[in-house]
Amino acid sequence: MRLFFELARRSFQRQLTYRAATIAGLVTNFFFGVLRVAVLTAFYGVQAEVNGLSLQGAITFTGLTQAIIGYLSLFGWYEVMNSIYTGAVATDLLKPMGYYRFWMAQDLGRAVAQLVMRALPIMLAYAIFFPITWPKSVGQWLALVVAMALAWMISFSVRFLANLAGFWTPNALGFVRFAFILMYFLTGFLMPLRFFPDWFVRLCNLTPFPYIINTVVEIFLGVLTGPQIVVALLSQLGWVVILGVACQLILRAGVRRLVIQGG
Amino acid sequence: MTPIIRVHHLHKHFRLTRNRHGLLGAVRGLIAPEYRTVRAVDGISFDLARGELVGYLGPNGAGKSTTIKMLAGLLVPTSGEIVVNGHVPWRERQAYVARIGAVFGQRTTLWWDLPVSESLDLLQHIYKIPAQQFQRNLDEFRQLLGLDAFINTPVRALSLGQRMRADLCAALLHDPDLLFLDEPTIGLDVVAKERIRQFIQHVNRVRGTTVILTTHDLSDVEKLCERVMIIDHGRLLYDGKLEFLREKFGGKRQLVVDFAENYSDAPVDGAEIAGRDGNRVTYEFERRVIAASELIGRLSSQYRINDLEVREPDIESTIRRIYEEKLLENASDAAN
Repeated sequence: MRLFFELARRSFQRQLTYRAATIAGLVTNFFFGVLRVAVLTAFYGVQAEVNGLSLQGAITFTGLTQAIIGYLSLFGWYEVMNSIYTGAVATDLLKPMGYYRFWMAQDLGRAVAQLVMRALPIMLAYAIFFPITWPKSVGQWLALVVAMALAWMISFSVRFLANLAGFWTPNALGFVRFAFILMYFLTGFLMPLRFFPDWFVRLCNLTPFPYIINTVVEIFLGVLTGPQIVVALLSQLGWVVILGVACQLILRAGVRRLVIQGG
Repeated sequence: MTPIIRVHHLHKHFRLTRNRHGLLGAVRGLIAPEYRTVRAVDGISFDLARGELVGYLGPNGAGKSTTIKMLAGLLVPTSGEIVVNGHVPWRERQAYVARIGAVFGQRTTLWWDLPVSESLDLLQHIYKIPAQQFQRNLDEFRQLLGLDAFINTPVRALSLGQRMRADLCAALLHDPDLLFLDEPTIGLDVVAKERIRQFIQHVNRVRGTTVILTTHDLSDVEKLCERVMIIDHGRLLYDGKLEFLREKFGGKRQLVVDFAENYSDAPVDGAEIAGRDGNRVTYEFERRVIAASELIGRLSSQYRINDLEVREPDIESTIRRIYEEKLLENASDAAN
């Protein structure tokens, strides 16, 4: 546990050194956030709400999703794949610790840094420029914190799994990119999932993707209440476990392949 | 005493797809790929005693790195046996790697964008090194490797020599029994090489760490190793004392003589004149034909001599001869 914390702390520290990248990221995220607000406002027109979501809720949705792009690495994360290709994986396998935990700890540091340096400023900027809503009760805030933490774990495992493709093919970039495009749509990042047809939402709910963003958004907006929140959090937890096991199994197969066929 | 490493009939074969020429070839390759087998390591056996420092030599592609990777548990042998410290390296990876240290010259185990000291702190936690032991080792290595000048610099900003020193320190903080060094001096200047060699020697002699060193640089081997193993095409060509290798395959030794007067010719039995420059004459002779003392005796009985010097063939040309002329293969054929 101590080791996990130390790795995460160093990773957090490393993120802080990339100041220019952070500012660039902030500006970009906010700029596209404003664009998305404009599009949604046009889309709403004179309607007060669409599929049960008010315009104010929709604007909050764009702010929240823009804010957590960095936290969840929604637009791409290729570190494990790259370390397989550069051979750095070999020096990491020579360290006496689990490879999945090794990366998870470092990703936690990265995620927390992104939360502080990107998510908070963007939400603040939104609060200044747009009419947004906030969670209204302590319970809702608590649920939000738990949902955010679980969302990060699911996102990490999905990204880690996609990256493991690097063990099997010398060019997994296409595959990993495809996984991120899926995330873009199926998490409910592009549009709140409730804007999509029912059958599509039901399909999405069979995958872990909606639990990365949609759950967080619905808790934030207060769409989910009481028992629904509990069900959502438990579903998230279920995916954390399933994906964690999947990561370990596939990682083991990948390492076996590496050590048998050579890097 | 049981050896720290026992390697028995070790093989590693890789299956590679054969690329065919042209579009048609590419299509055929897609439908019915053709494979060829590369025997990177082809039947190697050796033992290593605790506390040895062994040089593992061979040209590019000889199978050195493949062997080291198998010893480190990063590759599984196709067949054969490796036992290191009672462990089979590729099983129970975490337990095994906690007891070894490794430096791969081309790569770093440190975090690219962290200061060296932070990377070392992380390794303390990863290897669960007790604080006291960690501090003692760190103090020792900082001094020996001169780390203080750059210990707060991020690894990405280090020179190659500095990075290598940091990596050596990182590999030894947990007091491993065994240290694998794959090309630790590659690309370094003479001063940096010398510093690293002295450190390796210290680690082996003072701390008693067993070291396997692969290198291209024969001066590494000459300065550090008593025992060398030479590998080519996946086979062990030679395993024994460096001294003996030189004796057996060293080629011609030279005797440089400064005569007291200018002889128009100065022949002597058992040696040939290879060059002359005023009163200085260089003779070449073979170890198995005549001993240096004998030759000097003959010369001094015939001529007046001011000074003389025996020159041994350097190890580099010896080993080059071994590869080029396949001396060892012939030698082992003859032995069979």
